[in-house]
Amino acid sequence: MDPSMATPELLQFLNEEKQKAMANEMLAKLTSVCWDKCITDKPGSKFSSSESSCLSNCAGRYVDMSMLLIKRFQSMQ
Amino acid sequence: MDYSSPSPSMGSKSPEAVMQQVQAQLNQAYAEEFIETLRGKCFDKCITKPGSSLGSGESSCISRCVDRYMEATAIVSRSLFSQQR
Repeated sequence: MDPSMATPELLQFLNEEKQKAMANEMLAKLTSVCWDKCITDKPGSKFSSSESSCLSNCAGRYVDMSMLLIKRFQSMQ
Repeated sequence: MDYSSPSPSMGSKSPEAVMQQVQAQLNQAYAEEFIETLRGKCFDKCITKPGSSLGSGESSCISRCVDRYMEATAIVSRSLFSQQR
């Protein structure tokens, strides 16, 4: 796209879509990781309570771990 | 920068038209990526021993797999994006 077309509203739109794309990518990645970890049997007609709590915990702990990794890495600097 | 005259390379497209086009292309790309993920996950789960044709058990497994994967995405999304964790 020609940069001269970049009106402020277009720039804002692209920025928002970029944020959405990043959130979408993280969600897709995390769902894939947690699916592999938590859904060990063939998929049934509904999740068992242990499967759904595993999925929920998996996502939460992944975020916790990311924070911890960042802190650990910063302490090495 | 001159915003008043659209560049020739964009033709007569207004910024709104560009946004709509970008949005449509993004949605298309998101859908394709999701289907590609489903192909991988559900093939792994449901087609454990590929036979000469797709069995009815495999078909129903695939349909459940798609439903559960969408549900899993919703659960992870809630856990990831809601403030109270």
